[in-house]
Amino acid sequence: MRPLILPALVVTLALASSSALADDVRIGVLAFQGSERAAQDFEPTILHLSNGLPAHRFAMVPLDLAGIAHAVETRAIDFVVTNPGDYVDLEQRFGITRLATLETRERAAPTDTIGSVVVVPRRPGRATRLGDLAGRRLAVVSEQAFGGWRVILREMDDVGFAPKNLGGLVETGFPMENVLAALREGRADAGVLRACVLEDAVAAGRAGADEFDVVAERKVAGFPCRLSSRLYPDWPFARLAGTSPDLAKAVTASLLSMAPVDGRAWTAPQDYTSVHALFRQLKIGPYEYLGRTTVVGFLRAHWHWFLAGGLAISWWIVHVARVETLVRRRTAELTREIQERAKAELEARRHREERDQFSRLGILGEMASNIAHELNQPLAAITNYAEGLTRFIDAGRADPAFLRDGARGIAGQAERAAAIIRRIRAFVRRREAVRAEVDLDEVVRETLALFEGLAARRGIPLRVFLAGDLPKVTADRVEIEQVLLNLLQNAVDAMVDHEGRERGITVRTSHDGSSVKVAVRDHGPGLTAEAEAHLFDTFFTTKPQGLGLGLSICRTIVESHGGRLWAADNDDGGLTMRFTLPVATPEAT
Amino acid sequence: MTETAAPLVLIVDDDEAMRRSMAFLFASVGLACESFPTADAFLEAFSSGREVRPGALILDVRMPGTSGLELQRILAERGFPLPILIVTGHGDVPMAVTALKAGAHDFIEKPFKEQYLLDMVEGAIRLSRERLAKVERRRTVAERLTRLGKREREVLDGILAGKPNKVVAYELDLSIKTIEAYRASVMTKMEAGSLAELARMMAEAE
Repeated sequence: MRPLILPALVVTLALASSSALADDVRIGVLAFQGSERAAQDFEPTILHLSNGLPAHRFAMVPLDLAGIAHAVETRAIDFVVTNPGDYVDLEQRFGITRLATLETRERAAPTDTIGSVVVVPRRPGRATRLGDLAGRRLAVVSEQAFGGWRVILREMDDVGFAPKNLGGLVETGFPMENVLAALREGRADAGVLRACVLEDAVAAGRAGADEFDVVAERKVAGFPCRLSSRLYPDWPFARLAGTSPDLAKAVTASLLSMAPVDGRAWTAPQDYTSVHALFRQLKIGPYEYLGRTTVVGFLRAHWHWFLAGGLAISWWIVHVARVETLVRRRTAELTREIQERAKAELEARRHREERDQFSRLGILGEMASNIAHELNQPLAAITNYAEGLTRFIDAGRADPAFLRDGARGIAGQAERAAAIIRRIRAFVRRREAVRAEVDLDEVVRETLALFEGLAARRGIPLRVFLAGDLPKVTADRVEIEQVLLNLLQNAVDAMVDHEGRERGITVRTSHDGSSVKVAVRDHGPGLTAEAEAHLFDTFFTTKPQGLGLGLSICRTIVESHGGRLWAADNDDGGLTMRFTLPVATPEAT
Repeated sequence: MTETAAPLVLIVDDDEAMRRSMAFLFASVGLACESFPTADAFLEAFSSGREVRPGALILDVRMPGTSGLELQRILAERGFPLPILIVTGHGDVPMAVTALKAGAHDFIEKPFKEQYLLDMVEGAIRLSRERLAKVERRRTVAERLTRLGKREREVLDGILAGKPNKVVAYELDLSIKTIEAYRASVMTKMEAGSLAELARMMAEAE
């Protein structure tokens, strides 16, 4: 059939070029036995149509299987006549629709169906079942033949007999009676015929009535010939999807009214489902992909789906793996982060405590000369008393009144020194914050006790106005003392070289019900714009020896108490630093 | 005479314990002592021409109100005769230097050795006696000078300039005899035994 392809293509092209003519109706015919045979078989049909429908010029286009498929695909033809197998293929692929099925009326009973028969020469030990054909050579007209081979192939498949178990497949070529010849010549042990071919041969005297036996014979009611298979519809006359329905209708009517020619006529279209079933079972034709070493074939046919699916699965796997990894990593990160944060918090707290202590030490450093002076006072006094006592005694003037005076003086001054040291130690010692309800007036008083001397020696008067009726606040006494000392120290530093010093520092406490306020007012130069902007910045300082920690720590302390610390220039000069602390609520205690 | 009176140590310190303990120490060596809590209290006590006994002024440099240095300046203006001992805290060297430049007798850094303080005070008392004596003598010479008449004063100036009688007589257009009479009168009124004594007296009073 191969040699036919090229001429078929040429024909197709010729048709394509002439397809412009509207009343040209082209009928593609499967010429599997050659174009001459096809013309012989279907020329009467074409003639009948031309006569019945004179408005159209019907032309037959003999084509091989590939040619038909191409012609249908390119719509180079309007109708197609082909074998059932090819029909279901085209129906599947291009949506062609059968209009009529071929009917054979050569025999006593007309048949519009095809069956197959397996024949063997009648001799002893002949095969009676398909399974008996194992190891036998089988003659067929063509491996492509429908009724001549594939129908039987399905029956073999049904009984689980694989063709590869045959002794061999002998292709005889058309006409089909060549198969009988092959049997007679001993080239094959069994042969496959289309049903009724054997009866035709016997009837024509080309075969003896008892010459051949049928293998796996089955009976089908109303079918006039011997059978080894079930039946399938005969060739269909089909229209293409794009063919005009009116033309199709007219053609169908014409076909059904055609008188049999050489026993061929057209009848109502048959159901081709069984053909589909055969092809599907044998995995050929439109179901060929099922037969190709399945995986490769299927993959080749659907590679893009597999690719997409594969990609999707790969993506999914990668995604899952990635998510898994990410989750694991994030979890680890989170765990680490939590640990680090806990560590950082601990560190921060330690730093804050260290910084606070550092700052207290810093303030202490700034106060060092004052503290030295503070301590020197009682020490010098003690020395004076002790020396005085020694001299009294040495002089033999052991007047008890004098001696008592001296001893009391020493004791008093020693206690004074001890008190100073206690206060400083309490202030500097590294400690955990301790919150308690405190009276801010009392804290102010205590802080001033530590500070008074310093201010006095700088010649700066301290004026203190305590509210006296302050509600308690929840606070860390030492921290608040630290804030106060800072503010006082700053006030003194601001005034020490300033003409406003005589006006001194005013410390005032007050409350408004919800918070307690402490104001430290100086009469120094007030704030420069720069100082105001950076007042609470860490390491911002206007003092040559300052650390720039004081106020930033003060603000931290006050805010950690839920309070506020701010600075405001006074209308009449100087600066007032104020801080508030929330009044202790019963729930908070 | 003030320079021979019993010495009195003056203390200006804002710290009561310091005042009392120093008073105790001075009492142990038999020194009388008077103390003041502020510079102003001290100035008030000495503003009304109160007689100054030999002694020393112990002054705390750091005080509220008028500071030690300020008081020192005021006293210098008034020609206060007692040596001033400045008491400074540790590390107040610059202030001590300022005080010394302003005429302080010495400075003592706290905490101090009592013996050092006592020695210092003793030295100051001695110096104060000399100063008071000098003040006394100057006052005496000044008082005696007031006894001299105009001519006598002119003759005295001539003598002190080392001029012979005849030069003085020529310059004043007087006779030598008259000059000699005035000279004898000056020696008597100035209670000078000799020309050398008179010259020393006048030099001291300058």
